[in-house]
Amino acid sequence: MSLPRDVYAELERIIGSEYISDREYILAGLRHAMPSSPVRPASPAAVLLPGSTEEIQQIIKVCNRRGLKFIPTVSSLISFAYPTEPNTIILQLKRMNRITEINRTDRYVVIEPGVRHGQLRTELMKFGLSYPVAAVGPGGSVLVNFACSSGDNHDQHGASRTNRYIHGVEWVLPSGELIRLGSLANDAGWFCADGPGPSLRGLIKGYAGPFGGFGVITRIAIGLDEWRGPAGMPTEGRSPDYQVRLPHDRHKVFLFKFSTLDQLRDAMIEIGKAEIGQAVLKYFNLTAALLATQSANDFWALWDSGLFQRELARPLYVYLATHSAEEMAYEEAVLREIIAETGGVEVDPAIRAIYENNMDFFILVGFLQRVLRLGGAWAPTKLSADSIHHMFEVGKTVPEFLQEFIDKGLIFDAPDNFQIISMEYGHLAHIELLFLWERNQRNWGDIPRQVMARSLETEIRHGHHATMPPRSMPMLQKLGPLYSDCHIWSTKIGEAFGARW
Amino acid sequence: MPMLALEDFRHTMESCNHCGQCKWLLGPKTKGYDYAEICPIHQRFGFDAYSGQGLLNIAEELLNGELAYESGLIELIYSCTTCGACDINCKSIRDMEVLETILALRSRVVADGWGPMPVHQQQARSVARQHNIFGKEHGQRFDWLTPDIELAKSSNVAYFVGCVASYRYPQIAQNTVRILNAGGVKFTVLDGEEYCCGGPLWRTGQVAAARQVAEHNLAALEKHGIDTVIVSCAECFGAFRDFYPRLGELKFQVTHITEVVEQLIADGRLTLHNTRSRKVTYHDPCLLGRLSEAYVPWHGEIKAFGRHEPPKQWRRGRQGVYDAPREVLKAIPGLEIVEMVRNEENSYCCGAGGGVAEAFPNFSQWTARERSKEAKSTGADAIVSCCPFCESAFEQALRTADGEMEYFDVTQLIADAL
Repeated sequence: MSLPRDVYAELERIIGSEYISDREYILAGLRHAMPSSPVRPASPAAVLLPGSTEEIQQIIKVCNRRGLKFIPTVSSLISFAYPTEPNTIILQLKRMNRITEINRTDRYVVIEPGVRHGQLRTELMKFGLSYPVAAVGPGGSVLVNFACSSGDNHDQHGASRTNRYIHGVEWVLPSGELIRLGSLANDAGWFCADGPGPSLRGLIKGYAGPFGGFGVITRIAIGLDEWRGPAGMPTEGRSPDYQVRLPHDRHKVFLFKFSTLDQLRDAMIEIGKAEIGQAVLKYFNLTAALLATQSANDFWALWDSGLFQRELARPLYVYLATHSAEEMAYEEAVLREIIAETGGVEVDPAIRAIYENNMDFFILVGFLQRVLRLGGAWAPTKLSADSIHHMFEVGKTVPEFLQEFIDKGLIFDAPDNFQIISMEYGHLAHIELLFLWERNQRNWGDIPRQVMARSLETEIRHGHHATMPPRSMPMLQKLGPLYSDCHIWSTKIGEAFGARW
Repeated sequence: MPMLALEDFRHTMESCNHCGQCKWLLGPKTKGYDYAEICPIHQRFGFDAYSGQGLLNIAEELLNGELAYESGLIELIYSCTTCGACDINCKSIRDMEVLETILALRSRVVADGWGPMPVHQQQARSVARQHNIFGKEHGQRFDWLTPDIELAKSSNVAYFVGCVASYRYPQIAQNTVRILNAGGVKFTVLDGEEYCCGGPLWRTGQVAAARQVAEHNLAALEKHGIDTVIVSCAECFGAFRDFYPRLGELKFQVTHITEVVEQLIADGRLTLHNTRSRKVTYHDPCLLGRLSEAYVPWHGEIKAFGRHEPPKQWRRGRQGVYDAPREVLKAIPGLEIVEMVRNEENSYCCGAGGGVAEAFPNFSQWTARERSKEAKSTGADAIVSCCPFCESAFEQALRTADGEMEYFDVTQLIADAL
């Protein structure tokens, strides 16, 4: 549905005619159901491509005055980026795509929303710097992952959760007012999110991120880590057979398998205590098979062989990245000792070679979208973080609710397709269960809701908390008590800010 | 053999997850902040509708009768250069046919009487009357032939010249035959029997018109017993490799002049000499690179969880002509070759493809300038390529760009080094 002409004209005066449209063929690019959902989003009333914070402030004020809802987005990869009701406009922040500062001394970078992971990760490599790249593909927005959604990643054993990386924040409130957080508030630079100005970092990001419900984050500074690899991606080969090898004396990949989840957990904890390793995780096995193959038929050939189910049911991936060959020798010796003590053995060398030959898995995860290859109907659940021990307890309960869906043929038969990522040298861990289903069955659209509901019921029964608090109020009310009644707080905060969600 | 229709790509349209890979360079090939975008229309216009993903969404809505035709929609569909970067990027991670869908969409637009753009219709009329896209006299097609050029009285090897080299850049044709003469290759030309390859018509959705000239060329090649066709134009090469096999099995092989030269050098039949020290960067034309893999028909069923039965041979752009031009350039003493970020299967379009140069010259030139900036960033003082359409785009872009940079067709550099 198009906007009333006078509203359109008002917005057009702010943004310029080239950057606003309500033509149906333009809206067509932002109103399609994902393959994973039978629900088609409402068509946006218009799409705008703002170019500055000032424009966003003015647009929001018009929205408030004229009763429009707005959704800020960049790549529009996830469902939150789409309208659920008419009279909603989309603000695609792609034109705001500058890296305004790379501070090598204080190790932070200031970015606008349109800067993508592919760009920033490889740009920072030139300076020996890095950050935890969310596994969303090279076109994902860095700012969105850090400020608005959860965005955990493989490499966070030697790093941290994205919410801990936020420094200065520039934020347009739902009222259109502009505020700056932390050191930025007093014109003291971007280096810190806490004081002397207000620290609302927990509010804009919190545990899971509000997915844009509190206005528009227009610039952030994120802290940076050291990058111990080369200044550029050492890529060889042609699509889709790219090979990315890092210097072997300082970058090594190990894959071990364990008989039980308890052994695997203990190994992960011990590696954390030893403070070695950049990435330490139990990875998905179905996803691993999809990433390792180049077509659905290739995948089936591999999956039907049973290799990944056998070798990667309970795998431990370890990526060591060190400053020197001597440090590598030390870390490898420590690692091997821990693995021997906890009962791990190396997986089939052919599988390890996949990762040795393509370390993109530990840099950009550039092939992540291969998980969509089997048709695109997939969903993640859990997605939260707590202690390693707690996450493994959650992992052990997966068969309790998942197996019935497998037995009924409703979802892909991959009960071990969950990952547990160690973060901050084992002080925290992230869990994610990923399941796939086919759209050729009756009521297929109901499958993810059922799986997620059963997952949640299982958690509540066990007193676990591994599911990211969702935005839906009925779900929040069920889950909130496990998270210090967060639903009451988030509702109050939303009301205080006048968030239109 | 029937052409595939828009309906045949419903699985592709319904599979798109809006992941953005059709807009951004593949992760392993990204080298930093600059030159990370891959789709010219998305980079220029910004709206998601202007992208492989957007065109899939539009195609699906048209197919379902949910979107009405209007002039702006037609302009959007024809602003795409059909460069195929979206397709190759998508196929690196998904089992989808993005470019085939875009071409089928254009064909559908033509069938529904809404396309192509007027200038493309004019091209089709020119081809019907004079067998070339410019409407020039057909009898002048081989005016570039000079008396010193040796043509074999009879040969099973033919040089297919193409419209643009014949009428706009005759030096490409002249240099090509000089190179073949120097290498001792016996060849002939089709002379008055060579018509437009049909590529520009096919890529603008004018499939029937394209088929007509292609069938004429196929008959002429068969009549002369040709088993090898040498091509110096990327557009013609792409048409022979991708369009002609849709009409039936080819009875000849198609080879690019750089592949011929590479072989001549390897066989010791051609030696290239020092000309002048230059630092050059090679621009991979879309239709000689990622879009030059031979078409392989597939008719089957997509079963549960994406299993294709029978198995499908995917064309992912890895078999394009990438090495031959580079090896030939390396064989010219004095030339230093530097690479752009977006190269080989990830090459960024020059802006001239898919009928865009004719219908939207300003956008075409914007794209060419973007590519020229990338070329300049390598420190090269010249762009080298193998496509007269690219030459036309770069010629104009470099004329208006800051700093001096030249353009050379690869045949020029080879001929100069003979």
